Amino acid sequence: MKFKEHVLMELKAEIVARNKARRLLVRRRLLAGAAVAGIAAAAAVAVPFLNGSGTPAYAVTKNTDGTITLKINEFRDSTQVEKDLAALGLTADVSYVKPGTRCAPDRGHTDAGPSFSKEELNSKDPEVRKRIREAIDSSPNGKAFRMGGGEVRISPQHIKPGQTAVMEFTENEDQTSGPEKPRALWQFSGYLVTGPVKPCKVVDDPSWSKMPDPRTNPGAYPPPGS
Amino acid sequence: MRRRQANIATDPEAFEAFYRRHVDAITWFLARRVDDPNTVADLVAEVFVAVLDSAHTYRPGLGSEIAWLYGVARNTLSAERRRAFKETKLADRVGGRRPLDSDDVAQLEERIDAESVARRAFQAMAGLPDGDRAMLELVVIDQLTISEAAIALGIRQGAARARLHRARRALRNVPGIAPFVMEGMR
Repeated sequence: MKFKEHVLMELKAEIVARNKARRLLVRRRLLAGAAVAGIAAAAAVAVPFLNGSGTPAYAVTKNTDGTITLKINEFRDSTQVEKDLAALGLTADVSYVKPGTRCAPDRGHTDAGPSFSKEELNSKDPEVRKRIREAIDSSPNGKAFRMGGGEVRISPQHIKPGQTAVMEFTENEDQTSGPEKPRALWQFSGYLVTGPVKPCKVVDDPSWSKMPDPRTNPGAYPPPGS
Repeated sequence: MRRRQANIATDPEAFEAFYRRHVDAITWFLARRVDDPNTVADLVAEVFVAVLDSAHTYRPGLGSEIAWLYGVARNTLSAERRRAFKETKLADRVGGRRPLDSDDVAQLEERIDAESVARRAFQAMAGLPDGDRAMLELVVIDQLTISEAAIALGIRQGAARARLHRARRALRNVPGIAPFVMEGMR
């Protein structure tokens, strides 16, 4: 019967629309990525940014405390950012990759970060979450890169000679947001590589469209703007 | 399996396979309960929308896909009936009417006619307590096994057996219906 085909088409369109909406939801790549990889977490510190209101900024800012601030849009021009950071004495490797892709891991020698069990990563216990957060923050990569408020703050004092600040950045094409359209606006991975850095080999990133189920994992959906 | 099921809510291909596997059974399920072709077609769509919403509730360890799906269909239908009772019309339901062409209408009417015995049986069952009637419907009319019907209703097997037994006993003296409820339709 023809209506069955109609209904099927409508429903498939509905699935695509829902997937899109789901993609918009904020993802916790930091936790999910580490859980999937099952390896030492925080070899890369990756945190999605929740705040879509970042205005374009084209200057890399050096702060009085010695840290360097990079704003969201700067990553689009990765070569320029590398140059700007070099002018500040920082060796950086910046990649801008399309949504749904990422750089293949293993781009060079990285310090093993703290590792967590899957239970810990999925735990809703605020104590456990706090412990994970603190462990990551106090790891070498966590100290070198801090994220929040739509920007990345790099601390050169935590980067040793011979280390490169490797940064990978993905940005949603649609940057509008709102409570009815929660989604990952952009995603950033930052980690330190000691010695030579291999170029970014772009691979698919299925986790980009994989949003945690809000019913089972409400913690992955902090209120907008947080 | 649970992952696969979750897939049907997000993967259009997986969903299509699921849909094609079950759309006829669901259409017939609805034609046994509703006698208007347009409403049947709309409800088919609604049942599968509900599948998207509740794919995460499926537990493969507990039974077959179709038992779970009939449970979803029952819930959709009773939600629809509550709504219809309130509004006495279906027109402003989300999704709206699907224009059916004459072939669709003809085929749906044929199916609805074919299911007229079932609908008469529903009338005979109307006086039963809800839970007992639901059990009898699923086993006798929809041809589920007792354990499948138990899953569709979210009750234990023992309770399901008790309900079925009560329902059959209540109808055993209704002329024209008794052999039907005892043996099933087909």
